[in-house]
Amino acid sequence: MRQTYGKLLPGMRISDLTGKLIVIEGTDGVGRSTQINLLKPWLEELGHAVLDTGMARSTLAGEGLKRAKEGNNLGRVTQSLFYATDFIDRLENEIVPALRSGFIVLTDRYIYSLMARAFVRGMDSKWIRSIYSVALKPDATFYLRLSIDQLIPRVVFSRGFDYWESGMDVYPGRDMYDSFCNYQTALMAEFDRLSEEYKFEVIAASADAEQVFEHLKAGIFRALESDSRKEYISARSTKTLSISDLTANEKTASMAQPANAAKFESVLRSIMAHSTDGNGRIAHQQK
Amino acid sequence: MEITPGSRLGTFEVFLPVRSVEREPQQHRDDGFPGRLFIVEGIDGSGKSTQLSLLHKWLESKGYGVVFSEWNSSPLVKDTTKFGKKKKMLTAATFSLIHATDFADRTEKSILPLLKAGAVVLCDRYIYTAFARDVARGMDREWVRELYGFAVKPTVAFYFRVPLETAIGRLMDGRDELKYYEAGMDLGLSDDPEESFRLFQGLILKEYEKMISEFSLTVIDATLPIEVQQAQVRQIAKTHLEKAVNVRVQR
Repeated sequence: MRQTYGKLLPGMRISDLTGKLIVIEGTDGVGRSTQINLLKPWLEELGHAVLDTGMARSTLAGEGLKRAKEGNNLGRVTQSLFYATDFIDRLENEIVPALRSGFIVLTDRYIYSLMARAFVRGMDSKWIRSIYSVALKPDATFYLRLSIDQLIPRVVFSRGFDYWESGMDVYPGRDMYDSFCNYQTALMAEFDRLSEEYKFEVIAASADAEQVFEHLKAGIFRALESDSRKEYISARSTKTLSISDLTANEKTASMAQPANAAKFESVLRSIMAHSTDGNGRIAHQQK
Repeated sequence: MEITPGSRLGTFEVFLPVRSVEREPQQHRDDGFPGRLFIVEGIDGSGKSTQLSLLHKWLESKGYGVVFSEWNSSPLVKDTTKFGKKKKMLTAATFSLIHATDFADRTEKSILPLLKAGAVVLCDRYIYTAFARDVARGMDREWVRELYGFAVKPTVAFYFRVPLETAIGRLMDGRDELKYYEAGMDLGLSDDPEESFRLFQGLILKEYEKMISEFSLTVIDATLPIEVQQAQVRQIAKTHLEKAVNVRVQR
């Protein structure tokens, strides 16, 4: 039975949300969007309908939030609430309807990123938790973790310093490099705490993309194994082979031989060609 | 690993510890600020805006530094609210959150700093508007109160109390068509905008009535003549200004 973190939004039925909610978390630059771009086609190939969503992509607040960030004029409380508005819009209009239709929802960051960012900005923990008490508990949360010295070359050497990723609003007037290191370290400390509290599955993002992908696949298989729809799908399947059988077959195959290397390469190349900025902006544009 | 200022982590200087950042928001008391915060509340047609603008004129004439802040007016947020309303895509939850976001921006950029600077800040609608409307829309009472935990407590919160029919009578005279959210059409109370508005305002009025004791709202009988109400408002405001002599500015 699906649950929220305490409170239920008006009009939200959660008893019939048969889909799966899979969360990919981590600080900036750990490769979340790369992985989601690999996971989506893989899951679809297995016959699952997939919705991918991510922070600041809501129809309601996505644009407004982007504009507000352009001015570097966004206060800490305002920022926390703007992100909350964006999140709730996606929760109500994308995530919940998709789960009701039996989709697998892959989300690039969830309430944990929003909490970590707010905490680093000194926001009250009780306040933030109360706001997000209406969020759904996910079926699995994968935390891609990278140490600060591994993070610097990945982010900074690929796209340079970004005002918000460097936490320039938290440490105004500081050098961007020092600010980036402090901010990301602080974020990571919050993530580590949240990881224990909410029992994330931690994946070392220092490995190459292919290895991280394998870890994620294995983790998602475990989440799908507890699929409450399994019996339903099998019962309704007119063919002798059900979706869950396919899933099981694929699992055996993928465990035995670490993926179809050539195919993986081509997918990865096509993703890299878009040079994502790590904030899912490319994935958004492709829609 | 313990991260403290002055320690070094790799090659960069650690200058701010993560956990010692001052925790906000906490319920701000206005007592510590030299400024004064007067706000007006009431259902549509209660005459609160008229009363606030008269108070504004009077305060200015007395030489105070007065700043006015209106509900739903943050330059950073109002376009998003407008967009959501136009597309009728706001739910009870996002309606609540986007208004809280707007209020947060005004609190951070104007209300709080101005109170610190010693201004008299006047707000047409405050958190009680959100409490009344959002709860009428079905939001959890506690959740909404928690959401606005960062708000500054007003020096005086005037509540202009008026019977529903009086307010509606005042509004319906030569008034434009009711807007979708204004009429509470999203609540599905009635297909007729006017009827929906009536029912919605009734729900809001009920919430206001409950808040009088909860938040010690200062009740003004809004059926009295405008001049009488204004005299009461000024009388009450005056007692709080006497304590705040330092807010007087030379013109």
